[in-house]
Amino acid sequence: MRGSLNIIVGGVGGQGILSLARVLGEAAVLDGLEALVAETHGLSQRGGSVIVHVRIGENIEAPLIPMGEADIMISMEAMETLRNIGYMRRKGVIVSDTLIIPPSIPGVKPLKLEDIVEAVKSAGLEAHFLSASEEAKKLGDSRVANIILLGYAYRVSHIKDFISPRSLMKSVETLPGRDLNLKALTLYATLD
Amino acid sequence: MSYPEVLGELGSRALMLGNVAVARACLEHGVGFASGYPGTPSSEVIEALAYAASRLGYPYVEWSVNEKVAFEAAYGSAMAGVPSIVTMKHVGLNVASDPLFSSAYTGVEASFLIVSADDPGMWSSQNEQDNRWYGVHAYIPVFEPAGAQEARESTLEALKFSENMKHPVILRSTTRVSHTRAPVTLGALARPRLSGVFTKDVSRWNIVPMHARKLKEELLSRWERMEEMLSENPINTVEGPEDSKILVVGVGLGYRYARESLFKLKALNSVRLLKIVTSIPPPRKLLLRESEGRSAIVVVEEGDPVFETLLKSILYEEDVRVKVYGKASRHLKKSGELKADAVTKALASILGLNYSPETPINPPITPPPRPPVLCPGCPYRSVFYALRRAVKMSKMEAIYSGDIGCYSLGLNPPFNVQDTLIEMGGGIGLANGLAHVVKDKVIVATIGDSTFFHAGLPEIVNSIYNGAPMIVLVLDNGTTAMTGHQPHPGSGRDALGREARKLVIEDVVKGLGVSRVSVANSFNAREVEAKIREAIRDVVYEGETHVVVARGACILDAVRRASSLKVKRPIYIVDSDKCRACGICYKAFNCPAIMPGEDGRVSINASLCVGCGVCEQVCPFNAIRVLEPGDPEWGRILGMEL
Ligand SMILES: Cc1ncc(C[n+]2csc(CCOP(=O)(O)OP(=O)(O)O)c2C)c(N)n1
Ligand code: SF4
Repeated sequence: MRGSLNIIVGGVGGQGILSLARVLGEAAVLDGLEALVAETHGLSQRGGSVIVHVRIGENIEAPLIPMGEADIMISMEAMETLRNIGYMRRKGVIVSDTLIIPPSIPGVKPLKLEDIVEAVKSAGLEAHFLSASEEAKKLGDSRVANIILLGYAYRVSHIKDFISPRSLMKSVETLPGRDLNLKALTLYATLD
Repeated sequence: MSYPEVLGELGSRALMLGNVAVARACLEHGVGFASGYPGTPSSEVIEALAYAASRLGYPYVEWSVNEKVAFEAAYGSAMAGVPSIVTMKHVGLNVASDPLFSSAYTGVEASFLIVSADDPGMWSSQNEQDNRWYGVHAYIPVFEPAGAQEARESTLEALKFSENMKHPVILRSTTRVSHTRAPVTLGALARPRLSGVFTKDVSRWNIVPMHARKLKEELLSRWERMEEMLSENPINTVEGPEDSKILVVGVGLGYRYARESLFKLKALNSVRLLKIVTSIPPPRKLLLRESEGRSAIVVVEEGDPVFETLLKSILYEEDVRVKVYGKASRHLKKSGELKADAVTKALASILGLNYSPETPINPPITPPPRPPVLCPGCPYRSVFYALRRAVKMSKMEAIYSGDIGCYSLGLNPPFNVQDTLIEMGGGIGLANGLAHVVKDKVIVATIGDSTFFHAGLPEIVNSIYNGAPMIVLVLDNGTTAMTGHQPHPGSGRDALGREARKLVIEDVVKGLGVSRVSVANSFNAREVEAKIREAIRDVVYEGETHVVVARGACILDAVRRASSLKVKRPIYIVDSDKCRACGICYKAFNCPAIMPGEDGRVSINASLCVGCGVCEQVCPFNAIRVLEPGDPEWGRILGMEL
């Protein structure tokens, strides 16, 4: 596939966002592509908003995705999905967990899922909300939610035009908890 | 942390952080000595080298006590002929600036690379100082990589240049270079020089004024030679048509933004683009050659307009009249980090090209902010809770002179126990002044354990010597948590994870001459409160400084340790018929794992709760209780006895 793909990976510090993004980047490198994965380190990893910019393909130079130019968003928390929506192209694809983590500030009320879904859809974006963290628990470990979302995003977005299933699996294999992660990936990306 | 990619095979292409690429280059060059003090975005250089060292047996790697010590250690090693590096975040170089200046006077006997990671945009810092000024100020060349692959190459080139010139070199990275992963093609690892020889030479290593005057002259002529050599270094490259009226100069990562913008504007083939890696001293000859016949020059750089300013002065000196655009002309902002759209917009306007950026989607509702918070089970939550109570019960008002670390998060409600946060060590430092001039309030200085060893000791000594009574609350969680859990002298581990001498904070404090010292378990809110009340009495009634060491493991470390030792953690639940919806546990104690229901009565979110058990102590109605007890070792892990 020629061209490039801009992917925003977002969520809350501690959810496994960096691993998700790294897996994508490593898979791209295995396929001989250029890749940039701009991570957020430091204080925001203590339960703050975390966003990673992933860019793969040709003519990518700058680490950050400009506003309005992300093709895909993979988001591990629904309020963060809405927060990062300014990055999306009008024709972009969003894959988001339905999970809502209330910010730990006294007296602050989280948004309701229906309102978030409504707001995202009203922007005309193709959005897939799935309860990845619940599904992950059913698989046996809530920590595989990130790979469930990755698998699902692989299935419904252009990622598959850039990254081969083989490289994606090889890259997921390097994660701790390899078997469960592979299982989550194959199940949700419908690979075999 | 694990960094297998730093030991990747020769010729392979590995996705790695810019910082890891720096570490890899050090291994390829044969660096024998590496020291540093943690600080975002610099820490992974030492971490990756420590990872390599624990497998290869070399190079020597340490986390030093602070940046000044780290600098001097690497400097000393380079004096003795061992290729050495020192790493730190930008503000760390302020701490190390004294020896920095001297190192240019004396020079060194082997490569000496100073890795400074700047943080434009202030993602994890208190300022966005541009450390290239230090290069200008101290006569030390600065190399600026444009990404991870270039981080490897510039590091190698800088190490070589330093070795040849026997002069220190600064490698200036920025957040997006240090913390962006990109594919890097790897070279061969080299066997490092690990032992050195110190050749005595008082006229060189002893910079009393008599020697320093001579060394200054030598430094100035060396600087000219270095400028000459860097002017022709092929690491700076040009592309695009020679006869272009416009020259775009991309410095470090600025080059990447400039190149992508030109591509977007379809101007890559019509505009001359110069990529600068060796920004200080600027490559004068190259710049003059490339300025010839141009009508405008645009400089794109991360940080202050350092290169832009120096370029203008070179052009002025040589009587070249050409318009220079950049940050001084306000086409680009002087604050914050570079952004692709801003660079494209600036270039489009200067080049007279059309550019209409995408209009970002504006959602009809905005989510509430999500600032970082103390982790569920963080030992600081109970300490801050107890601190607030102790001050209130003593019927006192306090000034909370705070410091930098995870505990800075105590600045937020409901705790509000960080009235100041200036720089590392600033907490006790400011208290040394406040205590003399603000008489109607008790001064409480908080400081983390890593910060205590980094900068706290002289400040405590000062408080005792000059009689500035204060409470010093040392938060001992056994680690440098905020920057990613690096060890320090109180941890009992070294950079490679091996057992090390452990300095006990209360013993150190007593040794400094403090007579009122107490220790409390952070997870025991009552004990902490009692100790702080005693300390308040000492300060208020006796005018004595009292140091309280609150000891309790960083919960992330504790949970990891419990799972590796197979220690079971307890499970807590709420008896909803006992809960009276008072809200103490989630408002005043503010545990993120405790969720109020519609009627205000609470429940514990089992996936967030780690079993620290403090909520059981703070609930006035005994509504929180153990459902399944944990192993007795859990308490010892929390208390850092295991
Ligand atoms: C001069 C300087 N060096 C390094 C840093 C980065 N930094 C911020 S806080 C901190 C130390 C945190 O450790 P500690 O005091 O133990 O507190 P904790 O995070 O464990 O609560 C460091 C190294 C800095 N801000 N300034
Ligand atoms: S990382 Fe450790 S010290 Fe920092 S907030 Fe979490 S528990 Fe507290």
